[in-house]
Amino acid sequence: MVDALEEARRILVDGGVLVDARPDSRVAARVRSGGARGTIIGTIGTQRETKTDDQLSDRAVRDVLRRGLFRSRRRGRIWHAIPFEDRSELQDYLGDHLRFSRRVSWRVPAAKRDGRLVVERAVRFEILERR
Amino acid sequence: MQVSATASVGQLVPGGLGYLRPPAEIELAAYGVDLRGLRVADIGAGEGRLALGAARRADRVLAIDPDRSALARGRAEAKRLGMRNITFREGAAQSLELADGSFEVAILSWTL
Repeated sequence: MVDALEEARRILVDGGVLVDARPDSRVAARVRSGGARGTIIGTIGTQRETKTDDQLSDRAVRDVLRRGLFRSRRRGRIWHAIPFEDRSELQDYLGDHLRFSRRVSWRVPAAKRDGRLVVERAVRFEILERR
Repeated sequence: MQVSATASVGQLVPGGLGYLRPPAEIELAAYGVDLRGLRVADIGAGEGRLALGAARRADRVLAIDPDRSALARGRAEAKRLGMRNITFREGAAQSLELADGSFEVAILSWTL
């Protein structure tokens, strides 16, 4: 991972920027009922192995910042909304997913999980300037 | 290089089945980097979802990925869209066969 960051730096001009964007496994994805403004009725965690990989990526970024190869210009988080027709469709999606946990941690009884759902997943990004 | 100090932090961006990542233009806008007139390398580009979005603004875009089939799909899409400022090339993030200092922007999206 550090190798990739060093290579990215090498091909950049002085003052060029590197965009590092990744799913943010530090926060759980939110499951809303109905639509994007619906009530949060559940959360979805991240698989343990993926969390470990993400931590290694974080460490690689910290390493190149500490060594002064880049400076951080800006960082933030966006939420990506993915709609599902119903709980069954969401479960199929989770069954194949490489990052998300296989199951939703529901906050409401089964009777209140019907209908359309929206999963909001966090995407973190950081803009790094080549030094 | 123009980097917005406030663009879209915490913004909710739409997706949809078949779009399990945010639409490229929205994702790029959220990052707040003005790509107009710049040379952009999308490293780990896959089939070029983000690279094709970047090519709408950038001077030229190089999409790099080890997956030949993904690159082929990206090339086909670029051709369909009539985009001439994007190139797809096989390569690995750890050893880019590119000249030093040849891009103003590098993107590692879902790559690290």
